[in-house]
Amino acid sequence: MKLCVCIKQVPDIQAPFRIVDGRLQFDVERHVLNAYDASAVEGALQLVEQHGGTVEVVAIGPASVSETIRKALAMGAERAYHIEADPSGWDSATVATVLAAFFRDRSYDAIFTGKQAQDTDAGLTGTMLAERLGLPYVSNAVGLAYEDGRLIVTRQGDAGREIIELTLPGLVTISNDMNDPRIPSIRGIMQARRKPVEQLTLSDLGLSDDALRPQTRVTGYRPVPPRAPGRKLEGEPAEVVRELVRLLREEARVL
Amino acid sequence: MSTYLCYIPVQQERPTRAALEVLTHLRALAHRDGAQLAACVLHPEADRFVEALKPYGVNRVYLVKHPVLARHLNAPVLAALEAVFRAAQPALMALPSTEAVKDVLGALAARVGAAALPDVSAFDIGTSVTATRPVMAARVLADTETTVRPVLVSVRAGSYEARPAESPTEPDVVEVPFDFDTATLRATLREVVTGATGQVDLSEADIIVAAGRGVRDEAGKQLVEALARELGAAIGASRAAIEAGLFPASLQIGQTGKVVSPTLYIAVGISGAIQHIAGMAGSKVIVAINRDPDAPIFNIATYGIVGDLYQILPLLLEEIRRIKAES
Ligand SMILES: Cc1cc2nc3c(=O)[nH]c(=O)nc-3n(C[C@H](O)[C@H](O)[C@H](O)COP(=O)(O)OP(=O)(O)OC[C@H]3O[C@@H](n4cnc5c(N)ncnc54)[C@H](O)[C@@H]3O)c2cc1C
Ligand SMILES: Cc1cc2nc3c(=O)[nH]c(=O)nc-3n(C[C@H](O)[C@H](O)[C@H](O)COP(=O)(O)OP(=O)(O)OC[C@H]3O[C@@H](n4cnc5c(N)ncnc54)[C@H](O)[C@@H]3O)c2cc1C
Repeated sequence: MKLCVCIKQVPDIQAPFRIVDGRLQFDVERHVLNAYDASAVEGALQLVEQHGGTVEVVAIGPASVSETIRKALAMGAERAYHIEADPSGWDSATVATVLAAFFRDRSYDAIFTGKQAQDTDAGLTGTMLAERLGLPYVSNAVGLAYEDGRLIVTRQGDAGREIIELTLPGLVTISNDMNDPRIPSIRGIMQARRKPVEQLTLSDLGLSDDALRPQTRVTGYRPVPPRAPGRKLEGEPAEVVRELVRLLREEARVL
Repeated sequence: MSTYLCYIPVQQERPTRAALEVLTHLRALAHRDGAQLAACVLHPEADRFVEALKPYGVNRVYLVKHPVLARHLNAPVLAALEAVFRAAQPALMALPSTEAVKDVLGALAARVGAAALPDVSAFDIGTSVTATRPVMAARVLADTETTVRPVLVSVRAGSYEARPAESPTEPDVVEVPFDFDTATLRATLREVVTGATGQVDLSEADIIVAAGRGVRDEAGKQLVEALARELGAAIGASRAAIEAGLFPASLQIGQTGKVVSPTLYIAVGISGAIQHIAGMAGSKVIVAINRDPDAPIFNIATYGIVGDLYQILPLLLEEIRRIKAES
């Protein structure tokens, strides 16, 4: 089985930041592999460990993305493609356009993406890519198995878990609820240094500026309005509970 | 005249509340702009739901009827939404941001050549469509706008209030021709496994009782269930409580799970990780019950009780029953 996982480097969402003139500024630039993509790499590795095959990864981004690529290689992916570009100002549609150009002349049994990026929570790229490539897909996957040349994908739907048979080639967007991604071993980290990373440019993929024009853009960032300060009720449990119920009825008027 | 179109998912024999919320907002925009307000329903017997849309001031209802639409599967839903989109030619299509909608939004945008604004908490139409999107695990709001038309926008549950129009309408009903050959399906649904969920649906609930890792066993789960029953509340859970196997995954609230904004959210044994808060910070009143006085959940709680849930919940149940008996 030949699998390719699309990986995005994201700013650490836990890192402290400020908003200056509508722009996000991090005190320290800390970048990580999108958690959903880490689960996608893990899911792919588990499949090939059981059924044979290879896992490759592709990332679009500036030179600094190589760190994130090494992480995926250290987890166990065999080969990487780095599409060098500055994606600031892009949207999911632009990313899908670039990825579609990348996949057009390559053949994989399945393409995995994260179900969403941790920073934007957009969750569009995967299904946009599937549509561009004309591939059947399953989104929000929490389980994966391989049977008779097909993927059996469990997806978390609105009310329950949907078990879907996906013919290959196909695309799956992965939830972090699928697994706990492995921590790369020292050996994995050493091996990753020797694994091939192929650099590609947008012109290698035959993409013009026109094709890359985003359909949406961020005009500015704002802090979330703070919640009114709350209060902690302390004292003897029965009294505290009585006070809580009184406040819910008389002050908040929600009971 | 331009058309604003709302997708109306149905559940338990009626339009979902989240859909009616979006429809209500779209109606206000349509009135302001002199646009036509349209709605669409995909269901084997879609006609049954027209009646429920009349109070919401809809001018036209598009129906797609086919047995394959009885259960969610992305290829037929995508084809049906595409057919409605081509028939209605809307300037804007708004959809409630459910898991089923997330499953098709990107593909639909790519297919019909529309811009997509996913999971917004507010939107408006001017020279472009503008929207507010919570990003960075809902710690920041991004103001976004589109640079092309048409536009698809999916809206978080609870962003708007569902209200009937001043006067009901008698909408035109348009059945959109839809031929779908299930033999062409390359992804097929084997089965749907539903966990035993509470009585009330999370996205429809005014009150949610949410359980975290602090609820560590069957006895704790029963306390949570009893409280939910007493309050007519839906049950939600943190990722840790689901991983512990006590609650089904469809109840997960947070960045990966569902986004909710009930009137009252009672967090029981939940620490308040940012990925959990991302899914519930929009709740009007938040009550936190946690034995760790430094738990971050207290930073956003309207009322906090520092204590052992196994002691607090029985007292709370008793007090609520007492109040109910009095009134
Ligand atoms: C280093 C970097 C800096 C950026 N800076 C800005 C900025 O300052 N302002 C701004 O508006 N936008 C910026 N962007 C662009 C933006 O964050 C997203 O890349 C773009 O919106 C598409 O991803 P998404 O978050 O919408 O994807 P989603 O649809 O949420 O992502 C789903 C999946 O798509 C795949 N995917 C997404 N992006 C990539 C990628 N780059 N490479 C490979 N796979 C991918 C992953 O599998 C991911 O899990 C930046 C992107 C990068 C990589
Ligand atoms: C990409 C990503 C996405 C995620 N998405 C989600 C998501 O959608 N939803 C989600 O919930 N999490 C999500 N998480 C996980 C999240 O980071 C936390 O791990 C999780 O929310 C913790 O759940 P918890 O608060 O129940 O558990 P803990 O953090 O372990 O907290 C348990 C709390 O219970 C209290 N407690 C223990 N015993 C008692 C008692 N007897 N009485 C009272 N209090 C008690 C403790 O003091 C503690 O504060 C995500 C993580 C990542 C990386």
